Amino acid sequence: MDSDEEYVAAVDRDSSPEVFTDDEDLGGRRSRGKKSGSSGPAAADGGYSWEDRYKRPWDIVKDEDEAGQSLENVIQTMIENRKKKIMKNPTTPFQRGIIRTLIVIIDGSLTMLEKDLRPNRFAMTLQLLQEFIVEFFDQNPISQLGIVMMRNGVSNLVSEVNGLPQYHIDKLRLLRSRQHNRFEPKGDPLLQNSLEMARAMLKYNFGTNMDDNKNSKEVLILFGALFTSDPGDIHKTIDNLIKDEIKVKIIGLSAQVSICQQIANKTNNLSSRTTGANSSSGSNYSVIMNETHYRELLMDCVVPLPVAATEKRSTVGVPLIKMGFPLKVLPPISASNNTVNLDLPVLCACHPTNGSLESKDAVTIGAESSTSIIGYQCPQCRSRVCHLPTICPTCGLMLILSTHLARSYHHLVPLREYKEVPAADHYESTHCYGCLLKFPEAGGPDGPLRASSRYRCPTCARDFCIDCDVFVHETLHNCPGCESRSGK
Amino acid sequence: MPLQMRNGNESHFMDAIADRVVTDFGHPETFTDDPSLLTVILDLNPLGWYNIRNRTTVKEVTKSLIVFMNAHLSLNNSNRVAFLTASPSGARFLYPNTMSDQKDTANTLVNRGMYRQFRIVDETVLLELNNEFQAVAQTELTDYKSTVSGALSLALTYTHRMLTLDESISTTTASAISTSTNVASNSSAAGAGSTGASNLISMKSRILVVSPDDNDDIRYIPIMNSIFAAQKMKVSIDVVKLGSKDVSYLQQAADATNGVYLHVQNPEGLIQVLSTAYFIEPSLRPLVVLPTNSNVNYRASCFVTGKSIDLGFVCSVCLCIMSIIPDLGKCPTCQSEFDPNILSQLRRSPAVLPRKKRKVDPPNGTPAA
Repeated sequence: MDSDEEYVAAVDRDSSPEVFTDDEDLGGRRSRGKKSGSSGPAAADGGYSWEDRYKRPWDIVKDEDEAGQSLENVIQTMIENRKKKIMKNPTTPFQRGIIRTLIVIIDGSLTMLEKDLRPNRFAMTLQLLQEFIVEFFDQNPISQLGIVMMRNGVSNLVSEVNGLPQYHIDKLRLLRSRQHNRFEPKGDPLLQNSLEMARAMLKYNFGTNMDDNKNSKEVLILFGALFTSDPGDIHKTIDNLIKDEIKVKIIGLSAQVSICQQIANKTNNLSSRTTGANSSSGSNYSVIMNETHYRELLMDCVVPLPVAATEKRSTVGVPLIKMGFPLKVLPPISASNNTVNLDLPVLCACHPTNGSLESKDAVTIGAESSTSIIGYQCPQCRSRVCHLPTICPTCGLMLILSTHLARSYHHLVPLREYKEVPAADHYESTHCYGCLLKFPEAGGPDGPLRASSRYRCPTCARDFCIDCDVFVHETLHNCPGCESRSGK
Repeated sequence: MPLQMRNGNESHFMDAIADRVVTDFGHPETFTDDPSLLTVILDLNPLGWYNIRNRTTVKEVTKSLIVFMNAHLSLNNSNRVAFLTASPSGARFLYPNTMSDQKDTANTLVNRGMYRQFRIVDETVLLELNNEFQAVAQTELTDYKSTVSGALSLALTYTHRMLTLDESISTTTASAISTSTNVASNSSAAGAGSTGASNLISMKSRILVVSPDDNDDIRYIPIMNSIFAAQKMKVSIDVVKLGSKDVSYLQQAADATNGVYLHVQNPEGLIQVLSTAYFIEPSLRPLVVLPTNSNVNYRASCFVTGKSIDLGFVCSVCLCIMSIIPDLGKCPTCQSEFDPNILSQLRRSPAVLPRKKRKVDPPNGTPAA
């Protein structure tokens, strides 16, 4: 059982962080943490959580005078926050694997009961994962996700590969509510079986294995333990993963483990060595410093991975996908007149999921209100399905809504970054173009604090405030200034 | 209060667009009198207004809108309005107006004895609307594309400010101080600094788009981006469609954000429609059956021919939708070459009966015989 235990960095969380120093990727993260840690108030979300002092809520409340003094810090934090947020949105357009299938492997071993994350690692992981799922499907509507848990020397299937966020969230909730008996973290983790399981799950692209080169296959491991007890040779599994072009990303919860580094490096080999593309979306193996960092790392995985140049089969070309944009099926209009009308039940073509576990689950029928749509009709074979996106179970056509595609466009065409306007004696703009907030007057105090507070779009030359800048780049993905110009 | 919206609209959202994500089921809600922001976007597309000149005019519609805004203001003392136009000279705010402070109020466009809050809004809107007409008159209309997307973006940035910041804050410095204090208190409470903005919402918001434009040719992606942002912020987009036909993107905007879409055929009684169908406060939306049509056409339109299609081809690189397979075997948008094997598979005509055996699942890469 324990033939392949990897105990490279068996560190407790109170040992010195020097363990990580040989790693380049972590070096970058760490230095940033150190820097902000030294600048006073930012330490709360910048450094290692175990280096932090006790948090006393009454320390945060400040006097009036002190608030005036800390204005410098306040503004500095604002600017840093903005930069951090903007950095997350790379502005160079990459070809990205928009259609993703992601398997999340969560650690359910005994180490997940550690309380360095509150209430414990496992609960925190599930909570963050729930947020992640919401964000993931928001940003990647034509993608799918599956969850595997490794617990007590066995890898368990938590949720099958599916495109419905609610399904996964329900499964996770189940995991949380039943924590007392079946799913409480226990025993040892095993990477090999879980990876093999993920590999098997990734074989299927939206229920069929017809063309497996269209989607980007990814595995994300949330790994709390410092070892793995595998039944066989994990290196063979790694080779298989490479063969199947599966990319593994790992987030460690305690310390770096050599085998994880190997898995991450090898499976992402093509992309990380040959292009610099991956540097923008973070490294493939990182260890969390604290809760905020955990969340950040997890949310980094939401953005679709860029496709590396070497991966493109230069001789073949990119696939063209036939897709159907189905019609809605509406219930017969009944509210308008009081005459008796027949509500004939309509069978959904996608529901009996060929003998899988799901077919044993109770299906609620007709719980939705009568005004809503009851299904979608495949434009090719007229069979009805109840949710999108999916593959038509009858004719194999991929069915999506145009809005699903539209949600992904901003990944492909990122908005240009706004440039900070250099401090000057006179500014053309007096108000933020987006929200009409008043900018500070020109000519404030000299020194390092002197800033224009204006951020200018390089295309339309409108000035925006910091909040609008972040909002526009994070949520809206449109420049209001550029869109407001007629013509073009 | 965000839970309230989420919960009530859940079934509608989930089905309307099938990718709404519902995280949490709230507790039985308590309905409060939260102040709300009403943003009116008036589309000043000259062609659209010209086409309906027999039925209504900008003047008539503006009159109705002003009454509507006054009604909104009178509902709650802290209610706010904003008024934007999308015209060939660009999209911009008429109210609130950054220049309005300097202006003297001695104009006679509205009755001076009017309630002050109404008067400020009405005066500014009317004055600025006149300026806007002059600007439009001087603009060339050769290559005009609707600026509704810009107006929507502006409305959303403004809404974002109103939702996250105290309404009394009017400078960026004040906003910075307020946000960082909020962040500090947030991180002490829950450590949820990065997503903590959502729990500051005290205001509710909706957007009303009034458009006579029958043209479906818009900047598709920015509009969709705005719709998704509105969805995320839980801002409803209501649409008053004048003119002669339905416009798909505005229908989608309303449907996706739980807004009201009505095609007003008889704009003479617009104020009646506004004060009934469109006077649903955001906090009431979960309780009211909206006078809207859920049968919205979500079908995509072809990037090459511009036609609405239900079966098409999608480039896996740039997600461009095509109704036909391009002859060159290249994506018309991003110029990437398509896989010839897949192309030949797709180009193949349907199998005829005698060869029925081979119909199912041909091995990938086998060219058509």
